[in-house]
Amino acid sequence: MAADNRYEEEEEVRTDDGSPITKPRPIVRLGIFLVAHSPVFSVVFSAAGVLALLLLPLLAKNTYISENALMPGSARSMLSNRDASDGSKLVKDIKNFRLNHEGQGVEVQRLIGKYMSEMVAEVYYQKFQPEGNQFHPLHFFSGPASYTLLGNVSCASYGVNVVGIIRAPRGDGKESIVLVTPYDFINGGDYEDLSLGIVSSLFSLLSRVTWLSKDIIWLVADSRYGDYRPVAAWLAEYHTPSFKVSDLLKCDELNTADNFRRAGTVAAALILKVDGRSERFEDILSIYADASNGQMPNLDLINVVNYLAVHRQGFHVKVEKVVSLLSSSWLKIVGEIFEAVGKVANTLNPDWKFGIPAAEYIEGSATLASSLYSQALGIPTGPHGAFRDYQVDAITLKISPGFPPDSKARQHDFFLRGSQLLEGTIRSVNNLLEKFHQSFFLYVLTSPSKFISVGVYMIAFALLVASLPMVAASLYVDGCKALTKSTHNSAENFKSWKWLDAAKQVFALHLLGFIVTLLPYFICQVPGQHSPRNRSIMWGTTSSLLLVTFVTIPGCSPFSSRLHGTNWAILKSVTISAAFIGLCLMSIINFATAEIGALLLVPTCLLAQPIKPALRSRRVKSLLGAFCSMVLVTIGFPVIFFAITKGLVGEGLVGLSLGGEFWTWLESLWAWKSATYLYIGMVHLPCWLLCVCILFHPS
Amino acid sequence: MGFVIKPNINSSSFHLSGRSFFIRRRQKKKKKKTRRGEMAEDQKKKSCRFWIWALSSVVFRLILISFPGNLNLSSRPEVSTPLTSIRRLAEGYWLKQASMSPYAGSMYHGSPLLLSVLGPLTVQRIKGQPSHLLCSLVFVIADILSAMLLRGIGKKLQMAYGLNARLLGLLKSSRDKGILPCGDIAALVYLWNPFTIVSCVGLSTSPIENLAVILALFGAVTRRVPLAAFGLVIATHLSLYPATLTIPIVIILGYGLDAPPIKLFLQTRSVENEESSTPTVSKQPKLKQTTRLPFLWKTVAHFLFWVLLWSLCVLVLCAFSLNKYGGLDEMFKRTYGFILSIEDLSPNIGVFWYFFAEVFDFFRNFFLIVFHVNILFMLLPLAIRLKHRPCFLAFIYLAISSILKSYPSVGDSSLYLSLWALFVNELVDMKFSFFLFCGYLGISLLSPVMHNLWIWRGTGNANFYFGNAIGYACFQIVFVVESVSAMLNHDRALKRCINTNHGEVKN
Repeated sequence: MAADNRYEEEEEVRTDDGSPITKPRPIVRLGIFLVAHSPVFSVVFSAAGVLALLLLPLLAKNTYISENALMPGSARSMLSNRDASDGSKLVKDIKNFRLNHEGQGVEVQRLIGKYMSEMVAEVYYQKFQPEGNQFHPLHFFSGPASYTLLGNVSCASYGVNVVGIIRAPRGDGKESIVLVTPYDFINGGDYEDLSLGIVSSLFSLLSRVTWLSKDIIWLVADSRYGDYRPVAAWLAEYHTPSFKVSDLLKCDELNTADNFRRAGTVAAALILKVDGRSERFEDILSIYADASNGQMPNLDLINVVNYLAVHRQGFHVKVEKVVSLLSSSWLKIVGEIFEAVGKVANTLNPDWKFGIPAAEYIEGSATLASSLYSQALGIPTGPHGAFRDYQVDAITLKISPGFPPDSKARQHDFFLRGSQLLEGTIRSVNNLLEKFHQSFFLYVLTSPSKFISVGVYMIAFALLVASLPMVAASLYVDGCKALTKSTHNSAENFKSWKWLDAAKQVFALHLLGFIVTLLPYFICQVPGQHSPRNRSIMWGTTSSLLLVTFVTIPGCSPFSSRLHGTNWAILKSVTISAAFIGLCLMSIINFATAEIGALLLVPTCLLAQPIKPALRSRRVKSLLGAFCSMVLVTIGFPVIFFAITKGLVGEGLVGLSLGGEFWTWLESLWAWKSATYLYIGMVHLPCWLLCVCILFHPS
Repeated sequence: MGFVIKPNINSSSFHLSGRSFFIRRRQKKKKKKTRRGEMAEDQKKKSCRFWIWALSSVVFRLILISFPGNLNLSSRPEVSTPLTSIRRLAEGYWLKQASMSPYAGSMYHGSPLLLSVLGPLTVQRIKGQPSHLLCSLVFVIADILSAMLLRGIGKKLQMAYGLNARLLGLLKSSRDKGILPCGDIAALVYLWNPFTIVSCVGLSTSPIENLAVILALFGAVTRRVPLAAFGLVIATHLSLYPATLTIPIVIILGYGLDAPPIKLFLQTRSVENEESSTPTVSKQPKLKQTTRLPFLWKTVAHFLFWVLLWSLCVLVLCAFSLNKYGGLDEMFKRTYGFILSIEDLSPNIGVFWYFFAEVFDFFRNFFLIVFHVNILFMLLPLAIRLKHRPCFLAFIYLAISSILKSYPSVGDSSLYLSLWALFVNELVDMKFSFFLFCGYLGISLLSPVMHNLWIWRGTGNANFYFGNAIGYACFQIVFVVESVSAMLNHDRALKRCINTNHGEVKN
């Protein structure tokens, strides 16, 4: 697209020179047409982009099992009541143990380890240290091996994971499946015990079966320091063995040295959590899948779990959704319009299966919004995110039982169903001969059984950004013309190099953005304890100081453009090109960030115009344009956008507390290696600054 | 096709040929003397600025080198190829120290001479410093040398440009005012090109290969025949593809530096003759004689002799250093053979690896021939069309070979981009400059992302990275095509404005 447009733009330059031109090819003429009418087309394309985004829930497809080898649900479950009662026994023992022994220690871990070894599993314990917040936004580009042990190890706080491995009778020990149950050994609730019960029931079965061809690893993760950290620590040690003896090993009576066992590459991982009571009578299974930077596990894994849960075990399956959208009236109106259009389409041709009921549309959009939001944040929604760093497909299954924890009769049934679900899933994964590869990796969910693949959602994004190269090309042509007119002799020498000055300014501001992005690293190094608010103030002041110095340095300041005779059209053209490149890059790294960023950045960039002439002309149209661009630029500032979104959610923030909140939010982004942070600092902020420059351009 | 006519060409007051030119010049001389001081100062300022920028680029490199872990650049497929990776070189050196053939195990594929020069540096450490420091310093020095040589080439080319413009009567003053200092620009483009910086800091041996190529061109431009031969032989020895440069270097030595086509000079002179004196019959044969430039056979023979001598030297040295490990046979098989048969199919920014990973085995030889002949096919037509501009021809050859190389890296692009900057005067009106700039920028940012998606995240596949490589190749092709057409347009524009000038004179 961009290539074509540039072609046309240059084509136009050629025709301007008045030399005879042979009839251009149709595609070139189409391009010239597009560039010549870029204002109309940019509006059309942007509107189409937003419309396509709204249409996405309609375009969602039903999921299907793509990999034939999975064959979910084709084998009869072998789980017996005996296995389930094994699970119940473990739960009961743990409860009793807790009642008798209060406080610290690793006794509960030992108890679980004892149970595991009774089931002929290899058992070991792993110690790990909770990690502080570290500034590593750039780690996104490096591999997962960059995990380093902290230098100062303290015995005061550390966690202990319990791991049991069942060797597969038909396997060669080169592949494995991981089951994780996060469990707080100190103050775990009654519901958490249930997850141990389910997996131990399953474990007791798996130790007997003959069909297993992949080893099974059961990791009881010590979730005292969050769910994610213990799993990440275990995975790091699993994949990158370190030959240095950690000081952590000497900490306790529990000797964990030299007994870390492995079981080959991990084919898939299932994280099981039992959490709180559901508000319905039936048991609810929630699936969480988003890993860091919007990466998703293979869709087949979700499909298998969903299929088994719905069709075999009768769970009510759901994925996260934005609840506030469910009651929004405008979404309802949109849904009804689409429904009506669908009905009309259906009367015209019964083969057109276009419309969906409005309620379903609302449901779908709420789920889609939630998917987009969590992908855009780039923060994993659970411990499964740690697996994605090692290219392992993993999902978290959170089951909310529909009964109180002390109901024994239903508990047995619950164990049976839960472990049958896991058994079916493991049996399917066990069938695989190669890694998950068949189905999609790039998708967003609109319901547990509906998804939008990359080919569909990219259309919305492409339409949104398509106007950028067009407008850039037409502005470039205009700017060149204006420049040639205004400065007759000196500039003509560099007819095709007029963009260099503008590019210098754009580069300078992007450099500034880069420095501002890295500043928090140094601010974190400042000795002494500072509240997030103070840190954000430090950040703000240093950034604005830097901006001021940049502006005063001659040459790279965007305001010194009078000297070079750069006009704003070329500056805007280069800005738009930079925004286009940045957005396209981001769409490949993390689609959701790019989509949300484009919704903000595209109109801001397109509407940015010097307000001086608009104020001078005093025409309604130009005044309106200036007003719109001012509003957009105001909203486009990251802090203000953050405040507005917070306000929409319902937490009004003003003044300095906003800075603190913003800092905390950004801190969470870089601590989770989210590329969104880089996007904000290195694409959004510079482009926003450039738009401000264009707004106040002395033209 | 629109050519932008140069402003100084366009104005009618411009054509000052023959006597009138001299008269005006004399009148202006007084003014000039006062102006000369200013100009000298200006020049001083300019060169001062050049040195500041050059120094700062060196400082920037040193800062980057001092980063721990070397920013992991040396493991990027864009930076180090199987031929240029320093890790492989260190491995080869280690093998040789262990009295094994450095080519054992298909690790090292470079020259044995480079091994003896750089190898000890990969092992030696200064206390407390990272191990790569000495090698990095060597590469930094190589970069500086290349930049200085480029500056030298540029100065020569600039002088030639001014001279030609004056001969054609297109430039009024004897001072080269209005001519861009292409040497300085090219040197700075080389030093500040992110590609160069990345390949210098990323410990690939391409700075040394580039230095050899630039050395050959410098020798040819300054007519230091042994130096030119030495550069050519070393460059060919290191990476084979610079062998194509033999043609432009021979043309430079035989016909002289870049100049507008000879027809134009003849035209101008005939007009001058018409104007200055009554055309006599006796002058006609003289003119006819000069329609062809004399080819300096002697210099070229001299050059060929030196090439032979230097290659003999290199071969003897190589044979000495490899005499226990299979000798020259082994070297040719493991270096040139490796380049030509594309054995290593690990991803790089070229297009060959993907193609040869896909192609059926029984077609492999056929396609190997097809792909390599691609470069050879273009040599002759280009040489015929651009024979009056041999340095530009060298640039085009290098650009084409960096597109169609079996193991390209960004170091190759940095070389041809800086050579391109030598022709800023001629290529001012190049089209698509902004588009190409955006394209190069986008592709070079996209490449690590695609690689990450494929290798680390596992959500992409080889097609992602290969698509990026195709895009890169396309942009390079557009770049080469546009450069050539801009150069040809420049020649045409010269011709046209000479014609219009003559028309005015006749009127």
